[in-house]
Amino acid sequence: MELEKASARLAPRSPWQAADLGTQFYRHWAGSITGVWLLFTAVPYALLLALAAADNSLWPLFVFWWLKPLWERPLLAFYSHALFGETLTLKALLKRWRGYALPGLAGQLTWRRLSPMRSFNACVWQLEQVKGETASQRLKVLNSYPSNRAGMLTLLVLHLEQFMTFGLMALLYTLVPWQFNLELSDWFYDQSGLQLAISGLCFYLVLCVTEPLYVACGFALYLNKRTWLEGWDLQLGLTRLGERRRAVKNVIGALLIFMLVPFMEPAHAEPSASDTTTSEQQQVIELLASPDFMPLEERTERQWINQDNSDAESWMETLWRFLFENLDDDETDISNSPLNIPDALLWAIFWTLFVALALWLIIKVANQFGLRGHRTSKRPMIPTHVAGLDIRQRSLPKNLNRAVEEALKTGDIRAALAVLMRAALAGVLARYPVALAAGSTEQQCLRTLQQQHGDPLPIAYLQRLTQAWISTAWAHRPVSDEQVRTLAQHWQQMDRLEADHG
Amino acid sequence: MSQPATLADAAALAHDIESRLNQVLIGQQQVVREVLIALISGGHVLIEGVPGLGKTLLVRSLGRVLELDFNRIQFTPDLMPTDVTGHAMYDQKTEQFRIRRGPAFTQLLLADEINRAPAKTQAALLEVMQERQITIEGKAFTLNEPYMVLATQNPLDQEGTYPLPEAELDRFLFKVLIDYPAHADETRLVNMVLDGTIRASLDVDSLSPATDAAGLQAMKALSNDVLIDAEVLDYALRIVRATRDFNGLSHGASPRASIALARAARVQAMFEGRDFVTPDDIQQVARPVLRHRIQLSADAEIEGQTPETALARLLDQVEAPRQ
Repeated sequence: MELEKASARLAPRSPWQAADLGTQFYRHWAGSITGVWLLFTAVPYALLLALAAADNSLWPLFVFWWLKPLWERPLLAFYSHALFGETLTLKALLKRWRGYALPGLAGQLTWRRLSPMRSFNACVWQLEQVKGETASQRLKVLNSYPSNRAGMLTLLVLHLEQFMTFGLMALLYTLVPWQFNLELSDWFYDQSGLQLAISGLCFYLVLCVTEPLYVACGFALYLNKRTWLEGWDLQLGLTRLGERRRAVKNVIGALLIFMLVPFMEPAHAEPSASDTTTSEQQQVIELLASPDFMPLEERTERQWINQDNSDAESWMETLWRFLFENLDDDETDISNSPLNIPDALLWAIFWTLFVALALWLIIKVANQFGLRGHRTSKRPMIPTHVAGLDIRQRSLPKNLNRAVEEALKTGDIRAALAVLMRAALAGVLARYPVALAAGSTEQQCLRTLQQQHGDPLPIAYLQRLTQAWISTAWAHRPVSDEQVRTLAQHWQQMDRLEADHG
Repeated sequence: MSQPATLADAAALAHDIESRLNQVLIGQQQVVREVLIALISGGHVLIEGVPGLGKTLLVRSLGRVLELDFNRIQFTPDLMPTDVTGHAMYDQKTEQFRIRRGPAFTQLLLADEINRAPAKTQAALLEVMQERQITIEGKAFTLNEPYMVLATQNPLDQEGTYPLPEAELDRFLFKVLIDYPAHADETRLVNMVLDGTIRASLDVDSLSPATDAAGLQAMKALSNDVLIDAEVLDYALRIVRATRDFNGLSHGASPRASIALARAARVQAMFEGRDFVTPDDIQQVARPVLRHRIQLSADAEIEGQTPETALARLLDQVEAPRQ
């Protein structure tokens, strides 16, 4: 690779600046690269689209989508040569197809197909043509910290692709005369062959823009990473410096000859070599410090403070690395590379939200169409409040008789019955559980118990108690003290009896 | 004509009226009960149901059983307010203005398909319903008691209708939903028509009066004596207040709904032969009192909720009265 021939300035950039450079690549060679795309994809896509429209099936289009890494190969081949001054003709691209299209393709079309780093890693497979362990090592190095943001690029282009497709379809819809009575929603729900063909055509037109752009950005990210790692900018800078020095030396030599020959003087001591060296060093330092080589950049990254202390790594850190470094890229060297939390977090948040959204939609749809069976637990949850009465065990008095007597002493029959009612409800519901809402009244509770469990002794007792409670609380006709005591005794006898039985 | 002297008499009379009405209105027991509660409470009823379910028959039967005057107005888009209330007309013979009373001068007024008329005609009913009087040419005419408006709405055909404004809806004590009768009831109805027990037309001649306006007034007075405990009243208020900030409702019921709930619960207790109101009475009448006074939020409507489901959730969540 002759870096001097590169038509773009190779300098270390942030990933986003590198992606910007990729868009410049695309804009610069837009016509040619679109031609390459059309040459390799127009016919296959037309055939697959015809098949899809004929069968009214999306499978052929899915096949095209799956083969995207294959369609991207000629684009990358074109960019990689065009950058260094060699514009490949369509014929040359066809001739060399086997050479650039096959290396690493099997992996890219199978287990690596869904990798978000596709645009970046494709450069390693295709341009460096490395295989096996060497390829893995190479990917580890290139995907090491800091992140190259290729995953985010994929995410962005994916969204761009979808928005543009829907936008184009909406535009077409607005242009269709109203007499055709075409509903936009029909395109999604009631797809005829024609509608499928139009949708497929829109998708392809969008791909004509997004695919060359995506490949160009991935290529620019790859170049940027190599520039950082291999110091391409330094290499180019030093080469340029050397050329400049050679030119200056020649001029100085010519001048010296011109000056010394007519005015020859006695010999003087030679200037020390160290002076020249010092000035050259100064030049190099100034050059390296100039913005051309070291663009000033402010950045905020989060890192583990004790990242170097790998021996003391906690299990949490190990898990963190395992989960998120893998999300970023399968090929990253887990053991050596420091964590890249922002990128990893972005992916983790994205997938979490995606899964949550998918689950929410599934549940929503299932509920909407009544597909979700109502699971009824074998044992209904025992309510904590019935008719506003707290019937939890901890709220009940330890000595029921004493609580009832204390209320009766103060003449508060309603309070005495309320205590008794709470204890009875808690006891009955523990033995005969039923599902009751917070707003259930005492009569609803009784009716539900009778419907579900018949009329055993405790429920019959509860009925008597409820009548006494209603008479006292709502009718303002309090029952006598004796009746309350009798009810309390009956409850305790029944409670003991039930406990003995079981 | 029997007039109840005690609450027990009133309950017996109410059941008698109810059973007579159920003889002609087959399979609509709940509707009959709710309309009677509204009538005894002194309220008006908005009935919603598809045509052919016996709404007019219900009103005619009520008039017959209670010996009350009955009028019916079919609301149409060109109906004018004076067509409802009446107007002053110049009599050339006497050379004086004469008041021509409209169909609203009655005791039972059936406003059929009320939402077919524009807002100004609907508004003409406002004064009638709230003030129980009609003003024509500045002169107020008090209506005879009892007075009840039964307005109907068709839930299916909404083309060219004018939805009732909230202010007018609030003046209806109950909104009653009238639905198709159950299979067994419909079978019984068809058999009764076929064997001549009842006629297919709106024939209410077979019904005999059970009481009159005075009897009805006595029942109303007795229902006012039904005890409502402070806790139970508080429960009714909590239900109404809960509608105002309940999830899924964009606006809730007014204080008029609280009054309506308490009044209707008393009559419901009277129907049960009790002289006191229980929380169950409140729950029993909460739905007809509140269903037309609440407005579902857009989210809830999109989720497929209805006022009925929202009210069911609300009643489940508002805790029944404490000790």
